[in-house]
Amino acid sequence: MAKREESAMWSIFGYLLSGLLFWGGVGYGLDHWLGKSYFTLIGLLVGVSGAIYLVWLRFGRE
Amino acid sequence: MTGTLNLVGFGLAAIGPGIATGLIFAAYINGVARQPEARSVLQPIAFLGFALAEALALFGLVLAFVL
Amino acid sequence: MRELLRSGTGGGFVPPSSADFELPPVFGHNIYTTKPILLVFLSVILISVFFILASRKAAIVPSKLQFAGESVYSFVRNDLAKDVIGHDFLRFVPYLFTLFTFILVNNIFGIIPLLQFPSMSRVSFPYVLAITIYLVFHYVGIRKQGAIKYFKEIMFMPGVPKAAYILITPLEILTFFVVRPLTLALRLFANMFAGHLLLLVFILGGDHLLQGVIGLKLISPFAFGIGIVLTFFEFMVQCLQAYIFTLLAALYIAGALADEH
Repeated sequence: MAKREESAMWSIFGYLLSGLLFWGGVGYGLDHWLGKSYFTLIGLLVGVSGAIYLVWLRFGRE
Repeated sequence: MTGTLNLVGFGLAAIGPGIATGLIFAAYINGVARQPEARSVLQPIAFLGFALAEALALFGLVLAFVL
Repeated sequence: MRELLRSGTGGGFVPPSSADFELPPVFGHNIYTTKPILLVFLSVILISVFFILASRKAAIVPSKLQFAGESVYSFVRNDLAKDVIGHDFLRFVPYLFTLFTFILVNNIFGIIPLLQFPSMSRVSFPYVLAITIYLVFHYVGIRKQGAIKYFKEIMFMPGVPKAAYILITPLEILTFFVVRPLTLALRLFANMFAGHLLLLVFILGGDHLLQGVIGLKLISPFAFGIGIVLTFFEFMVQCLQAYIFTLLAALYIAGALADEH
């Protein structure tokens, strides 16, 4: 059943990527709108923590 | 030759997570091979470790484009 | 093409780039007859002819051809469809089988002498394949569970505090509807693209070294040797990518069919 692990790995990759893209994108937009420079970093951190939380919900909670 | 140094930096930053992922799954395979019934215990730990290591690699990828 | 251009100039080494993938039309100026398109048509003809011949004179004691055809079929049917999708897998076998053989043959074109161009290294082919998978697995999921229940299950995971939905739901939506098909296509594309580029670097580099001074001529066999080793490595990667693409397609269908992910 190594196939489950293969799929789990790629969906973890997908979650992390979409977390970074979405919340990093929100931060980038806020930076442009408000003229600041730190929202992108905050957005990326929020995205990574949200994605890791989601991975924990999906795969780590046993 | 033209290009940006960010991509070189990303290449260097991807080495660490690459090695980390290898170590995590090597340990996971070892554990499952020695004790197949431990799989359900090891699986979440391996996946969380993989997620943390992969997060760093993707951070590098995103920052290479943003910075 | 580039060899002809380069040998005339005799200048420095031009490293291979993405321009090497934009091939000119084969017949005249018709842009629909470039090499990748012809290779795709060739692959369709090859696959059809092979499996028609393999299954035409089916017998209890199989001939070599029939055995080859049947082992590919049973690999997709049992190892991919049956293991992953479970019961009710039979109606997805034709789709998965087509996907697997099509990608496999098109990838292997990358190392067959004279053809030597993996048509999946043009990004539009993987995109189209990923779009078909996208349509199939969402259609199957909606058919099976009803639209509202299907989307609700994707967006709102049970057993999570309400406040966390703000953080998580966008990620689920983005993963399901954008990132998954995109990574599916880009993984295949990037592997074929990078593999072809790698072979070009070593073969063209060896060729360039051969035209240099005597010291460089002595190094060039090593470059060609690494090129040959990498060709076998590429063969492995090409088979593996066809397998992974089909496996993930089957897993997405299985995920859409299951009541809980």
